[in-house]
Amino acid sequence: MNLSPEYLAVLANSTIRMTTPILLVTLAAALCTRVKLFNIALEGAMIAGAFFSIVANYYTGSVWLSVAAGAVSGMAVCGLVGFCVVHLKASAVVAGLAANTLMTAATTYLLSIIFNTKGVFTHPSLVSLPKITLPGVSRIPFIGTLFSGLTPLDYLAFGLAGLLYVFLYKTVPGFRLRAVGINPEAARSLGTPVERWQLLTITFSGLLCGLGGCLLSMGTVTLFIQNITSGRGYIALAANTLGQSHPLGVLLSCGFFGFSQAVGNALQNTALKTQMTFSIPYAATIIALIAFHLYTQHKKKKAKEALLH
Amino acid sequence: MLLRMHQISKSYGPVTANDQVSIELHKGEILAIVGENGAGKSTLMKILYGLEQPDSGTICLNDRQVVFHRPSDAMAQGIGMVQQHFMLFGSMTVAENVVYRKETRKGLFMDHRRNQALVRELSQRYHLPVDPQAVVDDCPVGLQQRIEILKILYQDAHIIIFDEPSAVLTPLEVEDLLKTMDQLSRLGKSIILITHKLHEVMAVAHRVVVMRDGRVISASDTSETSLEKMSYEMVGRQIPTRRMTPPAVGNPLLEVAGLSLKGEPGTITLHDIHLQLRQGEIVGIAGVSGNGQSELIRCLAGLQAYDAGQVMLNGTDVTRASAGTIREAGLAHIPEDRYAWGSAPAATLAENALVGAEGRPPFSRRGILNLRQVNAHAAHLIQGYGVKAASLFQQMASLSGGNAQKLIAAREIARKTPVLIACEPTRGIDIGAMEYIHGQLIEKRDQGDGVLLVSSELSEIMDLCDRIYVMFEGRLNGEFIRGEVDEKTLGLYMLGGNRHAPQTALG
Repeated sequence: MNLSPEYLAVLANSTIRMTTPILLVTLAAALCTRVKLFNIALEGAMIAGAFFSIVANYYTGSVWLSVAAGAVSGMAVCGLVGFCVVHLKASAVVAGLAANTLMTAATTYLLSIIFNTKGVFTHPSLVSLPKITLPGVSRIPFIGTLFSGLTPLDYLAFGLAGLLYVFLYKTVPGFRLRAVGINPEAARSLGTPVERWQLLTITFSGLLCGLGGCLLSMGTVTLFIQNITSGRGYIALAANTLGQSHPLGVLLSCGFFGFSQAVGNALQNTALKTQMTFSIPYAATIIALIAFHLYTQHKKKKAKEALLH
Repeated sequence: MLLRMHQISKSYGPVTANDQVSIELHKGEILAIVGENGAGKSTLMKILYGLEQPDSGTICLNDRQVVFHRPSDAMAQGIGMVQQHFMLFGSMTVAENVVYRKETRKGLFMDHRRNQALVRELSQRYHLPVDPQAVVDDCPVGLQQRIEILKILYQDAHIIIFDEPSAVLTPLEVEDLLKTMDQLSRLGKSIILITHKLHEVMAVAHRVVVMRDGRVISASDTSETSLEKMSYEMVGRQIPTRRMTPPAVGNPLLEVAGLSLKGEPGTITLHDIHLQLRQGEIVGIAGVSGNGQSELIRCLAGLQAYDAGQVMLNGTDVTRASAGTIREAGLAHIPEDRYAWGSAPAATLAENALVGAEGRPPFSRRGILNLRQVNAHAAHLIQGYGVKAASLFQQMASLSGGNAQKLIAAREIARKTPVLIACEPTRGIDIGAMEYIHGQLIEKRDQGDGVLLVSSELSEIMDLCDRIYVMFEGRLNGEFIRGEVDEKTLGLYMLGGNRHAPQTALG
């Protein structure tokens, strides 16, 4: 393997592109955690976003209508799950898993109905997300490669992490949103419409998932593959835990997952078996969770010892 | 007249919670409402606070009729409530909790500095010192209650309802609280105090309303009533004064030597506990909740592994034995939380009366339950202990707290073990049920068994225990014989008073 600066820049660029879909979905998970909702339907919302942005893409040929279709379909999935969980008091796990199973199956089914194909759909008329070329930057070595081929949604994802941090910790509505998650009973007793906050938040989280899905099907490649999300919605739950539902913490943990995915992809071109390279992100998830657990245990133990002395 | 609730009635299905209840509140007055659990005082306050709607009756504020559909309506009219379970955001600061929903802002952004200044100002005006920047989770309970009061004052409430405010406080914090209420009333605030602690009523209230079975039994100035009169009106009959025979002490039943436990961070550590319980005595462990009593009892019952020490039960070494082995060796246990550990709320009364004995004849043979025996046993306990229940097969959760506790006590006492551990056996239950359980504990002692009674209620300890240990910060801090110690001394020891000066609520 050739570890030239150019190769590292390619790897870093790939890391960024692998990070953003997970980052959008993990931010969604973090917001839901902040209002004390366990949203497991991220996966389903993401796959809906990926699929319906391709459908809109095929019929309208408009990039922005496709993005909008992805966002709206994600919102619809999470909004529906949110309604069941918040207002009908359904179990979040059951409703969420049902949505995931339904969306995986429905997109496969609709794929064959609408496009008359199985497994993969792509078409020459499909447009991809525009790539932003930063004036002047593309010619700088390393930096140019680092920022090459990024779409507006990539920039949006990173920008959102910062924005959500400011929103949650500096603004009044963010303060009230966090209060709902810390103690819903207390918030309700003070006249906050807890259910409305929860429903709004989970629906907005669906928007983020939809955008994440759109990035999968219209970012690096422009196609829809059955089960295109390959568990990113679940990885997001792990990334959310590692990032402790903090927008900036989540940024770091997603960067880690993006990196392991990029490494996995890079190793596909080597002698390693593809089954092995494919499993790298998932193995990384498990290892990261174990390491995180050991670390928190260690911290607890330290605190306990400090208590005794 | 500031507030008049007139002829309020409220029923839940067949149960009448409030029957034509009328109360009046004047400006600057402290009105106590006393009554047993289920007397209807909570319902009345829920109606006043907009949590429940009355079936009939009216509420007038300043002689103008008002209707509260939700708490925010009541709050808008200047009525605030300090709930029994605090409604705080634990990981946020004091200031953030106080200003919640009335934040000063700069555009969309929180103006933290201004909010803190407002809270500081408020806390000075009402002599309720707090640090606006402290995180609520780090504050002791007494201080958390003060934050609740500040929250209400920040909302400009002029009527403040205190719902059983002293239930969670240490004796010193209670004193502080009573002072606070007095101050607030001098500053023109009107207070409604819901309680069943009559000495607090006598100490601070101007007038008192006694409720029983959903009705107002009496309303009088505190100066014109007495503890005896109020308790008679609350219960509806004379509570017999209990006379205990001197203990006929026999052999040791439970001996604990050098028990130590290193807790998780944030929990209590037990240090070198030595205690002894003998035949024919009730031994008390007094202390403010959270000083290691729960941990100690869990160790003794085999529910928690400890680091050092030896425990002998009825002549058997049960050090580090499992809960099942310890029960077999002769321990019965009324746990402190009747729903988390004492019973299965979703199971039937019959099942709850059986549990623990299901593996033995006559209740089962070769793994098959003998339901006739099981039901007969449950019926026997329910009848014998006067548990008010409709059926053997109703859910435990449908019983009132007092009746659930009676059934748990019945089950454990019926095992006729040499040792019974009773943890807070009368917390939150009414005087009638309390009297009954106390009677059963004394009977068990008189039969020559040993009872270890853990209670944070000093009067319960003083009334029942032949010998008293005081627990403070994970240590047994003192040992006293009945009659040789007064409540004041015990109170001092409960706060670690023999080792260093008592801590105030501010810490």
